[in-house]
Amino acid sequence: MELLETIRSLTDVYGVSGDEFGVSAVAAELLKPYVDQVEIDKLGNVIGRRSCGKPGAKKLMLDAHLDQIGFMITQITEEGFCRFIGMGVDQRMLLGSELTVLTKEGPIPAVVCCLPPHIQNPGDNKKSVPIDEMALDLGLNGEQAKKLVRIGDYAAFSEEAFALQNDLLCGKSMDDRACFVCILLALEALKDQELDVDLIILGSTKEEVGGHGARARAFADRPDYAIAIDVCHAKTADSKPGDRVSDLGGGPVIAFGSNSVPRFARRLTEIARAKEIPYQIEAIPAHSGTNAWAIQTEEGGVCTAVVSLPLKYMHSPVETLKQSDMRQTGRLLCEFVRSFDGNL
Amino acid sequence: MKELLKELCAMSGAPGYEDEIRQRIQEHIRPYADQMIVDPLGNLLALKKGKAPRKAPMMVCAHMDEVGFLITRVTEDGMFKLAAAGGVDPRVLVGRRMEVGPKKVKGVISLKAIHLTTPEERKQAPGLDTLYIDIGASSKKEAEQFARAGDFATFDSRWVEFGDQRVKSKAIDDRIGCAVLIKLMEEGVDRDTWFVFAVGEEIGSRGAKAAASFIKPRWGLVVEGTTAGDVPGVAEHEVSCRQGKGAVVSLADRGSVYDRDFVRRLVGLADEQGIRWQYRASMNGGTDAGAMHLAGEGSQVFGLAAPVRYIHSASNVLYWPDAEEVLKMARLVVKEAEQDD
Repeated sequence: MELLETIRSLTDVYGVSGDEFGVSAVAAELLKPYVDQVEIDKLGNVIGRRSCGKPGAKKLMLDAHLDQIGFMITQITEEGFCRFIGMGVDQRMLLGSELTVLTKEGPIPAVVCCLPPHIQNPGDNKKSVPIDEMALDLGLNGEQAKKLVRIGDYAAFSEEAFALQNDLLCGKSMDDRACFVCILLALEALKDQELDVDLIILGSTKEEVGGHGARARAFADRPDYAIAIDVCHAKTADSKPGDRVSDLGGGPVIAFGSNSVPRFARRLTEIARAKEIPYQIEAIPAHSGTNAWAIQTEEGGVCTAVVSLPLKYMHSPVETLKQSDMRQTGRLLCEFVRSFDGNL
Repeated sequence: MKELLKELCAMSGAPGYEDEIRQRIQEHIRPYADQMIVDPLGNLLALKKGKAPRKAPMMVCAHMDEVGFLITRVTEDGMFKLAAAGGVDPRVLVGRRMEVGPKKVKGVISLKAIHLTTPEERKQAPGLDTLYIDIGASSKKEAEQFARAGDFATFDSRWVEFGDQRVKSKAIDDRIGCAVLIKLMEEGVDRDTWFVFAVGEEIGSRGAKAAASFIKPRWGLVVEGTTAGDVPGVAEHEVSCRQGKGAVVSLADRGSVYDRDFVRRLVGLADEQGIRWQYRASMNGGTDAGAMHLAGEGSQVFGLAAPVRYIHSASNVLYWPDAEEVLKMARLVVKEAEQDD
């Protein structure tokens, strides 16, 4: 599987939390070759099912979320500019950036207004501008803008994914589409292999606003086990010593804690060691910040684990990952599924 | 001219490193230039002969350089530290894609994830001293295979056509001027005219000064991209020009006082020909016109510009019909300048 190409097919489409149907359709197509059946539910969740054909087999859910962080239009001015709010974005990376507004007519480009130094007052460039004081330039006048854009329309970062040096890939929405691709890598390797568990592959929605999509599927599909595959923070040059970060290139990160049940997590580390897959450990005492939190308490309880892909600059337009980490995460999932008989 | 502008905007040309953009312009004007000089600073001076010489030289000038960055240091963990070449607000750098060094290696500037910061930290805009370009290298040694201290970096910003006849790119300031000059050379002139594609405008019109000292113009025209202030956050009385109102004509700025009679005569002709223009209602800033203005015995200069939003960021925005008016106005000035004498 060519990773940049597959990632682009998922990150070139939009799916801000609350309206993921665009990306769901692409994810469903990518999933089709590897499962018995695929459906998209009314929340936009993509569910792929692969049965092992054995009576009484346990059900294992592999989840990665399809929704992305973004913005919402709150006002269209008489001059044709938009006011907007952010959903999970650091306000310091927006001035002068290109965004895409998701209108009823389709995606349109826009630019976040910024004043050039020539017309700033001394000291202005040290002020961090709150998002509600920013404006979005659609290149339209008031009448044109109001015809095309509605209050409540979503917006998101623009531009396609690209490669950096050293096996790195960069772009928007790597969180968490890259992890959906990790699941595809595992499924590709598991093709035509005999399994002892039924697989539920979930491309979930609304993770960034609380895990609503995954919760609904945990309720409906009643898995016995679930692994939430999501991104975690990789070390950057501006990390502080106290930041909880992992190493880019260090392999998948296996979490331990109440939301990533230790006996499940331990099994994953055993598999990694046996198959010589590099891995890292993360201690998460309570909420993992992933769908494992929403899934865990459904329908009498689900045994959950969290496996993470290290990512630099999370929630920016230039989220950066290492391809080898994706491949090793895919391998870890594959080797675990292959060996799993439904009992920990 | 739009395709030409798109091509020129894709070239790199940080101040002092205008080689790529100059070579591309040379390719374009070679068939039309009667003489081409690359001077010791890197300016491209091209003489276009008309049917007759002028009584004294005329110089038409646009700058090739764009605001950019110099690599000051490569850190042990393989990141590139920066100094600004030209006036840049560091706040427009965060989250941007960059091109580093002559090989144009892709890189990014960002901040650690929002989750790892406090609300207090997010109230502070990061200074240029804390930012760095990440090309994916994991060590200084690896990074230095691609670029070193002293190399340059520029925005990597794609060309987008959007909205109502808008284009967005880096470096529209002043590749729009370069595009207009190339078009004028292509069309031909009545009388001999020097076209100068200048270096180093963004750090103080270094190139134009040297070129003007060589040409010693009697008449000067500068074609620029200037701040369109018709955006939220600019007080009404501070809006120097607006998009959609046509070519911007200067009266005075920090570098030049434009000859009132000269300007009035030309905008009068523009009105007769139906060219849309507006005065630049500001004294701020300076352009290469200042260098021509003060060269030799001094020259009559005409300051012309396209109104461009968000200059000196990765996302310059131009309203295309304004560019057409700038071309018309530039053509008029080149034709009529001498009639004053």
